[in-house]
Amino acid sequence: MIGDATSTALHAALSGLAQRQRVTADNIANIQTPGFLAGRVDFESSLRGALRNGDSPTVNGGTTARSLEPTNTNGNNVNLDQETVIATETGLRYQLALNALDGKYNVLRSSLRTQ
Amino acid sequence: MSVFDTLGISASGLMVNRKWMDAVSDNMSNLNTVNPYEDEPFRERLIVAQAVDYGSGSGGVRVARAEFGGDPEGRIVYEPDHPLANEEGYVRYPDIDMGDQMVQLMMAQRGYQANLAVVERATNAYQAALRLGKG
Repeated sequence: MIGDATSTALHAALSGLAQRQRVTADNIANIQTPGFLAGRVDFESSLRGALRNGDSPTVNGGTTARSLEPTNTNGNNVNLDQETVIATETGLRYQLALNALDGKYNVLRSSLRTQ
Repeated sequence: MSVFDTLGISASGLMVNRKWMDAVSDNMSNLNTVNPYEDEPFRERLIVAQAVDYGSGSGGVRVARAEFGGDPEGRIVYEPDHPLANEEGYVRYPDIDMGDQMVQLMMAQRGYQANLAVVERATNAYQAALRLGKG
């Protein structure tokens, strides 16, 4: 009940989103670094796959790949507009997952409360 | 991997951009530094950024080294009244372009602001996470 698929899936999502936030911070910190390729985090596909198969999702923060978009003359392909959009979206998704987890805990708390 | 990694990564970005601004202000303040004809001129300072643990996870950026830019010969100017002038009346000025330095300053400033924006976003997310389960 406490460690069921809902909370594990939300935990996996929070972990993946935190990793994406970290990688986005890394991308923005390296916006002028020669030869730096932007990192991209994917955790959704493995999470979706696990949930579809009825398995318990693994909380691993997802996988980080390097973006293959065209680079500018110093070999860097970080795009500030794109990173800002990703950072904002990741922040909102993080809040959403937190709210869902909070709701889950509220249900648990109500059920544990003795009348 | 620590809990508040994002803040550390952004802090490294802030530091690199601040050092870049330091280098630019050094260059700008020495724009009119005169050296004798026989000596080297003041050389433009350039900051070389390098990714920390690129691709291996922890992330961040640091200043790998500072390099000299501009023409090593500098600009040779005819100023016979200058106390440092040689017998032919020449002195050496650094080869630093004011417009180029201003552009670099703006780039460093915007980079600093972008990293600060990430700090703010990360703080919001962490604060929300700390409120989790409070009901």
